Formats: sequence, structure tokens, C-alpha cells
Amino acid sequence: MEERLYDLIFILRPDTPEPEIDKVIATIEHAATEKGAKIEKTDKWGRRRMAYRVQRLREGFYVYMVVRSSHGEVVKELERRLKVADPVMKYLTVRLDEELKRQEKLKKHRERRAARRPRKSAPAAAGTPAAPTGGTEHAAATS
Amino acid sequence: MAEEHAPQQPAPVAAASVPPASPSGPPSGAPAGPSGPPRFGGPGGPRPQGGRPGGPAKRGKRNFVRKKKVCRFCVDKADFIDYKRAEILAPFIQERGKILPRRMTGTCARHQRWLTVAIKRAQNIALLPFAAEL
Repeated sequence: MEERLYDLIFILRPDTPEPEIDKVIATIEHAATEKGAKIEKTDKWGRRRMAYRVQRLREGFYVYMVVRSSHGEVVKELERRLKVADPVMKYLTVRLDEELKRQEKLKKHRERRAARRPRKSAPAAAGTPAAPTGGTEHAAATS
Repeated sequence: MAEEHAPQQPAPVAAASVPPASPSGPPSGAPAGPSGPPRFGGPGGPRPQGGRPGGPAKRGKRNFVRKKKVCRFCVDKADFIDYKRAEILAPFIQERGKILPRRMTGTCARHQRWLTVAIKRAQNIALLPFAAEL
């Protein structure tokens, strides 16, 4: 099965002490590796104002992770753990590989078109002088 | 319609022949008779003429200078709209939290589709509001 890439964001309560934050991250990473997934990136965004109140709090400690896995079971397990973990207020998992694939495809497509463009512009340039001559012919006919 | 056409067509050809013909048609109103048909003919004839000056005038009124909106993501050649960057999504939502329609922002269809998904994801993780807080 092909590998899938997931974005995992979770928000911890802002009053969580630093060691506890690290503990949560460690358990998530541990659970992921145990299930055969790879953590590609762990990023602590830090305390951030949330767009709306969650559990009556205006701020949250954001943690962002990128997980690569070959089966979806990992996500299920990670979400279960996040649900159980007390300091976690919110989490979101987004599958990204298909979008990245699409991005890649479009990029390639554009590059190919860009490569073709110089050749295309040459006949276009040749075509533009032809149009005015046609116009002069018309003018000559009317006069 | 036939009456309108009949006086109008001969009028340019021979003006002298028309006056005797038109009073014979409506005898009751002699002064209104001759003046009536030409006037009816007048609007009938100028209708296309009137349309021509009228059209541009109307267009002129409606055409207050409208800037052509260009899809911002197309300008940036974006192949992917990242939901994590709330600051680039923020201009596309109303103050109340609604997603702005394409006709307001000028976003192209494809990018609007991606944008909507990105905004909804951002809302879910509290990067963008669902609705304004009061």
C-alpha cells in the first residue's frame, strides 16, 4: 500500500507545563512509531490566540506534526490517544498526500507549458504583422 | 403595423402623394390624421436609431469604472492552499466569519474550491472563526 502523509495538529491547554507538553508529544510519537508510522516533523507553534473560545479558553498551545504512514490504523490510534489525553483540547488530522500529488502534477504541467511557450511565441509574433497587412488591404478596398 | 408602414414608406419616395392618402384613411380627425401617422411612423422608424444612442448611454451609466478582479492565487501561481496559514485565508472571510463568494473576491473557480476546503479546515482547528464572537 502506498504511503500516506498526514498533518496532525493538536491544541493543548495553555496552562500545561512544559514537561507535560513534551510528555504528550512523546506519547504520540511513541504510539506512531509503534504502529509503523514515521514522524517526519514535530513543530511546537507555541501559545497562540484561538479564533474562538474552546473550553472557555481563548488561547491554546499548538503542536504540529507530520506523520507518514502506510495504513490508516495509525491515525485512528493517534486520535484515540489525543482524545484520552487530558491537556489536549482539540486535534485535527488531515490527509495531505493526495493534495501534494496534485500540487506536484500541476507544477510539472506548468513547467512543461513554460518550456513550450518560447516556441509558441514565435508563430504568434509572425502572426501579428500579418494582421495589420490585412487591415490595410481592407482600407484600400474601401477607399 | 401595416398602417404605420404604409405612410412611412411612401413618405420619403413622394411627399406630395402621402397627404391625400392619409386623410382618406382617418377622415374624422383631419388635423390629427396627417400628423398622426407620420408620428407613429416616426417612432417606428427611429426605433433602431433611438436604440443606438440609447444603448451606449445606458451602458455609459452602468459602466462606472469596474476594476477587473484577478484571482490572487492564480497570480501567485498557487498549486496548493495551505490551511495552516490563517493570514492568507483571512481576507477571504467576512467579519462575521462567512466565506466570501467568488464574485466578491474574483477568485477563480478552482482556487475557490481549494480555498473553501482550506478555510473549513482552519476553522476546525480554531485558526479561523466559524462566526464572530459577541
